[in-house]
Amino acid sequence: MSIPFTLNGKPAAYEGSATDRLVDILRKDFKCPGVKVGCNEGECGACSIIMDGVLINACMVAAGRAYDTEIITIEGFRETEKFAVLDRCFAETGAVQCGFCTPGMILAAECILTKNPNPNEAEIRDGLSGNMCRCTGYNAIVHAVALAAKEGKGLW
Amino acid sequence: MVNGYAPQTLREALEIKRKEQVSPYGGGTDLMVDHHRTGTYLFLHRIAEMQEIKQDDNYLRLGAGCTFTEVQEHALTPPILKEAISRIAAPAIRNLGTIGGNIGNGSAKADSVLVFFALDAKLRLMDADGERIVPIHAFYKGRKALDLALDELIVEILLPRVIPTRYVYHKIGARAALAISRLSFAGLWNVEGGKITACSTAFGAIDQVVVRIPEVDKILIGTPVAELDSVKERYLAAAGEAINPIDGRISAHYRKTVCLNLLDDFVETMKKA
Repeated sequence: MSIPFTLNGKPAAYEGSATDRLVDILRKDFKCPGVKVGCNEGECGACSIIMDGVLINACMVAAGRAYDTEIITIEGFRETEKFAVLDRCFAETGAVQCGFCTPGMILAAECILTKNPNPNEAEIRDGLSGNMCRCTGYNAIVHAVALAAKEGKGLW
Repeated sequence: MVNGYAPQTLREALEIKRKEQVSPYGGGTDLMVDHHRTGTYLFLHRIAEMQEIKQDDNYLRLGAGCTFTEVQEHALTPPILKEAISRIAAPAIRNLGTIGGNIGNGSAKADSVLVFFALDAKLRLMDADGERIVPIHAFYKGRKALDLALDELIVEILLPRVIPTRYVYHKIGARAALAISRLSFAGLWNVEGGKITACSTAFGAIDQVVVRIPEVDKILIGTPVAELDSVKERYLAAAGEAINPIDGRISAHYRKTVCLNLLDDFVETMKKA
């Protein structure tokens, strides 16, 4: 008996133990290295993915929890028009330095804008509060999300 | 699946719980921190019956499988619970973590549990044969020690339909987000005809379980708001007797001082409101 789920729009199934960490499986078995391993205890947000429409930390999920869910990683999200806008806005505002936190930040930004296409600064900061960045600094990232809300009007 | 079950109905889950040694898996956000890949998980996320929020004549019924986000966003959720949830971790954790898991983890630092104590919540527990309802204060026997049999699951949290309308909530943590409570406080009260008609307080993270002292809260009930000053000293003295925090990463002395400061502030807030 396997664990069926949808990964980036395609059916997937995991044959291993239901107690394995989703983040490890996504990276190794499903070749999604954009899901980063930072703290492995839900504190840094580098492994952020979207599960059933909401942002979650893949290190906090055992494989069995993925049963029957729809998962989107940066590898899937990067094919969308919304990603193109976020990509451009992150570049324009200088919101990327080393890039390690960026996949998680992009997916957190997507979830902020899906919930609220016109977020104020406090709402953006709350939406990013579980995603740590240790080099760019948060202001540029907050500006990037605000810019994406403007530039991507109608997309979210 | 290997090392896990993901049943779709509560009945199935309770039968598995009776036959097998399984750890109930709510959101996993506590379980996965101490993750050893051993054992077998009983995944509860597919059970619709555990994810409902509804009210009947007596209770607001919160399904134990509801995530913090689902509870926070629901129109029926009391404002004090919404505020407490808004201070838990960060959105991605609140999207996974469940209120049943927060209770089942058995920690006195659990932020939703503090509010459930202050509201005198009851828990609906089920096994394959039936159910029992237990007041939350009786459910907690100590740290990680719960009145929960091996074949039982926490199914619902029952909040009284009528609760005090005024409240304060404080969480003292090391950071704004992703912080475990160093100390937390919930206080609710009502004023009718210029008098305090209801008062309920609870402290988190100061002892093995959340501390609730209804006999001390009673001192304020019946007091005219204009006369709160005259009973404040007696109230704080009684609280000082009743609250005896344990030493931990945070000292007992610090904990007690902050508790009494918060109660002082609580009475001052009542005077202004």
